[in-house]
Amino acid sequence: MSFWRQVTHGLRGLLRRHERDREIDDEVQNYFEEMTAAYRERGFSDNDARRAVRQECGNLHAAKEQVRTYGWENTIRTWGADLRCAGRQLRRNPVFAAAAILMLGIGIGANTAIFTFVNSVLLRPLPYPSSNRLAIILSELGNSSRAPASMFELYQMRQRSRVFDQIAGIWVTNRELPDKGDPEQGKAGVVTSNFLQLFTTRPMLGRFFSREDDLENAPSTIVLSYPLWVRKFGADPRIIGTSVRLGRGSSVVIGVLPRDFRLIFPEDASVPPEVDYFQSIPIGPWEPNGPGFLHLVGRLRNAESLAAAQAELASIAAQINSIGERTKIANYHLYAFSLQDDDVREVRRTLYLLFGGVAFVLLIGCANVANLLMVRARQRLHETTIRAALGASTFRLIQQILAETLVTALFGGAVALLIGWAALQAIVAVEPASFANLGQVSLDLRVLAFTFAIAFLISVIVALAPISAVRRLKLAEDLKRSGRSTTPKQSKALIVLVASEVALAFVLLIGTGLLLRTFAHILRVDPGFRAENVFTLRVSVPNYEALREVQRALTALPGVQSVSTVSHLPLDDGGNWYDYYWKDGAPVDQQNTVMADMRSVLPGYFDTIGAQLIQGRDFTDSDDAAHQHVAVIDEILARRLWPGESALGKRVNVSDSPKGPFQFERDWLVVVGVVRHVQCHTLTATVRPQIYLPYALAPRPSMSMVIRTAGAVPDLVSSARKQIAALNRNLPITHLEPLSAVIDRARATSRFVSVLATLLAIVALQLALGGIYGVLSYCVVLRTAEIGIRMAVGAQRAEVMRLVFAQGFLPVALGIVTGAILSAVSMPLLDRLLFEVKPDNPRIYLLAIVAIFVLSGIAMLLPVLRAVRIDPMTALACE
Amino acid sequence: MTEWNTDVIQGTLDLLILKTLSLESLHGFGIGRRVEQVSRGVFKVNPGSLLTALQRLERAGWLDSEWRNTENSRRAKFYFLTRTGKKQLEIEEADWNRRASAVARLLRQEA
Repeated sequence: MSFWRQVTHGLRGLLRRHERDREIDDEVQNYFEEMTAAYRERGFSDNDARRAVRQECGNLHAAKEQVRTYGWENTIRTWGADLRCAGRQLRRNPVFAAAAILMLGIGIGANTAIFTFVNSVLLRPLPYPSSNRLAIILSELGNSSRAPASMFELYQMRQRSRVFDQIAGIWVTNRELPDKGDPEQGKAGVVTSNFLQLFTTRPMLGRFFSREDDLENAPSTIVLSYPLWVRKFGADPRIIGTSVRLGRGSSVVIGVLPRDFRLIFPEDASVPPEVDYFQSIPIGPWEPNGPGFLHLVGRLRNAESLAAAQAELASIAAQINSIGERTKIANYHLYAFSLQDDDVREVRRTLYLLFGGVAFVLLIGCANVANLLMVRARQRLHETTIRAALGASTFRLIQQILAETLVTALFGGAVALLIGWAALQAIVAVEPASFANLGQVSLDLRVLAFTFAIAFLISVIVALAPISAVRRLKLAEDLKRSGRSTTPKQSKALIVLVASEVALAFVLLIGTGLLLRTFAHILRVDPGFRAENVFTLRVSVPNYEALREVQRALTALPGVQSVSTVSHLPLDDGGNWYDYYWKDGAPVDQQNTVMADMRSVLPGYFDTIGAQLIQGRDFTDSDDAAHQHVAVIDEILARRLWPGESALGKRVNVSDSPKGPFQFERDWLVVVGVVRHVQCHTLTATVRPQIYLPYALAPRPSMSMVIRTAGAVPDLVSSARKQIAALNRNLPITHLEPLSAVIDRARATSRFVSVLATLLAIVALQLALGGIYGVLSYCVVLRTAEIGIRMAVGAQRAEVMRLVFAQGFLPVALGIVTGAILSAVSMPLLDRLLFEVKPDNPRIYLLAIVAIFVLSGIAMLLPVLRAVRIDPMTALACE
Repeated sequence: MTEWNTDVIQGTLDLLILKTLSLESLHGFGIGRRVEQVSRGVFKVNPGSLLTALQRLERAGWLDSEWRNTENSRRAKFYFLTRTGKKQLEIEEADWNRRASAVARLLRQEA
């Protein structure tokens, strides 16, 4: 009842404000009249009665005002009035309003975009059941770290582990796709039968692999990815249980994975997010020194921690090391990392640094808005003082200033949403593949809340400065000055604000300079091959003869200079083939410890991609199984194995021809050539040395053809397709692209980071320059009278210029010094993103200092000119 | 004339208004004068506070009001007690008596 009255009366007060006000006026008026009448009845004259009433009850209007302020609706009304007033203030100063709103918008918007991005990559848990209990298990042996495990190791771990309830392995390779139509290449995940369960709760159709699939004479079975199921089998659910062609045999489809199934593995694992189909591989004891090819994932038991897993793996490693030939391997360790952490290991640092950069921009934006508000508060100090003198309570003054900053912040937040949305679209558009492991990124509600939280927080923070000015009001003192310009004592707060803006912008400038320099180096880096005019395509061939036919057919095309083939293109994200090697005469404890990238090639490969043969010879057609087994190695391996000697004619033990699906026979090969190292994984890091084998010794099911042309050949793609189809309709061709495309992909991360950093630095610099300009303009206005007097008593223009420049450059110089110190401390954090540039590169520091001095000088020009143009007479007349 | 702490007035003003209106319906000044007369000038009522209090009590549902002519045939807003207002008066009266006697007991003890 009473609540109902509160609401209805309050609403009446809001909606029929004038009616209610009039009623209150009438009632108060009536009170005073009745009282006056009462005095008259007691014999007072009209005048005396009125005077007595005023003495007793005070001012009639004050009473009306007191009664009117009752009720909740009144709070709304005053807020409404304050907000309207704030809106008017902003409209009256459109430049101020636009500047403040844009500064907030840019800062918050950039922050939102980056936050959304970081959130989707770093903060969101992996989309797997109990993903926090999934760990990657890696081995370290000899001098290779983060190595994949052998089947022997997996078997031993599964036998011994108590901490993990599951340990599973995967190996992704290029294979033919299961098919009804034309043969085609795709990615096959060879997994242990317990693998898929760790990454999704249930298949969309059918079942996962089970132990039965591992039995010796069980039929071959496969599980399809959703996209493959849709593309190849028309999303037909009846495919489950049927037999499909797979390579030269057939296989039974037992399940289809959910649509959103993605594998999220560390970048160096060569496990791509999307795998076309899965086959199972039985877990068995295998031989102790078998090849390491499995990427292991373990699931911790409920109560177990990663530390416990680590301790257990250490003891398992010791046990494995005491079996068979493992005994002799020095430095053998097993490590477990949280899959979530390990996945973002490389990316994390980059993202946090970007986040830091954005936070800097936001800080500069805040400093600028605080600057603007402080200047405005000072300009309005007189008005505020008068309002206070007229009886406005401090609370009402604060409320009004809060309203103004709130309006600014809300508009800023709205602009920020727009900018954030646009920025996120831009980030996603240029996002390099190395980040794209979590699917879709879209602005979500939490980010929306985050943005507005920032907007409000900032509104409160910036409101504090003017309010403190109001609190420190000395009414009488200010009124005495009565609107005359205040003494030109530049407030310390303004200096500090400008100096910190300059310092933050300086740090961003240095960081960006370093990243751009890195990118320039990456653009110039020699990958060990020449990609211009080389075109590649991947083809599946059954045997050596077929491959030679394809080579010959492509060579016959017009404009083609040479054609060869390689099992794994440099800088390609597809699978990798790497294995142990050791030189002739290596003691047993140095065997099976270090790995090299293995590549199967046809003669002419080095010439075709423009790799440089340093010593010896290329393969020839007679380098086959029937003749002496030979290899070509890269300079790094040559130096490592035979420092100071020629590698030619030396023997190295490597795996060569395949025996069974996953194993290669070990054999001694004679080194016949040494080539320059080809960057295979990144443009900047040398991961492993390389060993090239003739295809005749190491046939692979899928090969990348490399075609060098004399210049641009317009219809190369279609004629190459036609040529291969003419040979054999059933040869699947994929990945037709210029070799330069893989280089572009390899540069993508660096380009992405450089572009973002440059944008941030530009925004930061502009904001800081805006701050310098704004503050100096204000100071010139404050000092108008002083400058006028100086000029009146004979100061030259040059002196006035010096005066104003000195005032402007003081905070800039302070900011540069602070910024340099901050950079010296923080730039080493960038070290791992940098390439061939040291974080303390003096040239970049020098450039940044010069740039900031020159640009801030330009920002000061207008205020300085204004100061110089001051007419002494006008300035003095103003006083 | 005693200057009354506003807190004291605030605490007792509602009770005084309710009690006054339980006898007859009155307008603002009528209430003020009655309170002043009955308390023999101990309570001075400020019109701003009184009219604000009347709004509050009306919204609480204890009072209703209507515009009527006074004996001097001026239009004034008359307030009267509602049923819940009467109940509230009983509650506040009992409450006041309890407090007052407690204070009185304490003072006696002191003496």
